[in-house]
Amino acid sequence: MMITLQLFGRFREFSPSPEIALDLPGIATVGDFRAAFDDWAQSNWPGYRPALLQSAAIATDSSLLRANSPLPADGRLAVLPPVSGG
Amino acid sequence: METSPRVACHVVDIADGRLDPAAAIEFVSDDAFGGIDVFIGRVRASSHGRECVAVHYDMFDPLALTVFQRTVAQALAKYGPKAKGYVAHAKGKLAVGDLAVVVAFGTPHRDEAFRGCRDIIEAVKHEAPIWKREHFVDGVTEWSEGCSLCGKEPESGDSPVADEAAPSPAQTMHAAFRALG
Repeated sequence: MMITLQLFGRFREFSPSPEIALDLPGIATVGDFRAAFDDWAQSNWPGYRPALLQSAAIATDSSLLRANSPLPADGRLAVLPPVSGG
Repeated sequence: METSPRVACHVVDIADGRLDPAAAIEFVSDDAFGGIDVFIGRVRASSHGRECVAVHYDMFDPLALTVFQRTVAQALAKYGPKAKGYVAHAKGKLAVGDLAVVVAFGTPHRDEAFRGCRDIIEAVKHEAPIWKREHFVDGVTEWSEGCSLCGKEPESGDSPVADEAAPSPAQTMHAAFRALG
């Protein structure tokens, strides 16, 4: 499945673009995406550590997604590391 | 999400303008209100004992606005349907002294004004998708540690975050960043 992933916070360190396109075959849920993206990041991002993704939430423009949530049809996701507003 | 004339939420890019506490007070003012509480968050010159010269705020705008609106709506439900609430948060690179966030809550009496304002700023800090990168005087920049949103997912897809805070989100965050080394 083609995923368009928006990067925020510490995830921006790994890419010159705030948004990346990923072709991750065989994924249907957010949990599937987490596992596939973790594998991809470990292979493609020097310095990436799985703990960063483990502490991050996966979201659409309007909602946080649970691990068993189906992926949105448009493939648009955001990865949200721990937040620090205010 | 349904909008209300009693709720105002804004994201302001520092390149476009600055936060305006007077606008916040004006929005939550009402002849029926005897109490208005305002919280202003501004960039300070030190962080964990290090001299800070600027803070860059990164934000996921659409979800942040959804969280702001839901948070104010919850405060209205809790402290009175006649209350009014306002949230504005800046994004971009802010200098020391710049305003980062303004929250205002107006109600007939002071106790509800204090409580509503406090509830809203705590939710903004702990639940809104906003990230702070601190710029130190020695040229070093670091992302601020924060609160993990993991465990705050709604049971269904119709709410931006869970109604109840996850157990010890700060502990979850600190454990995660210790693991990062």
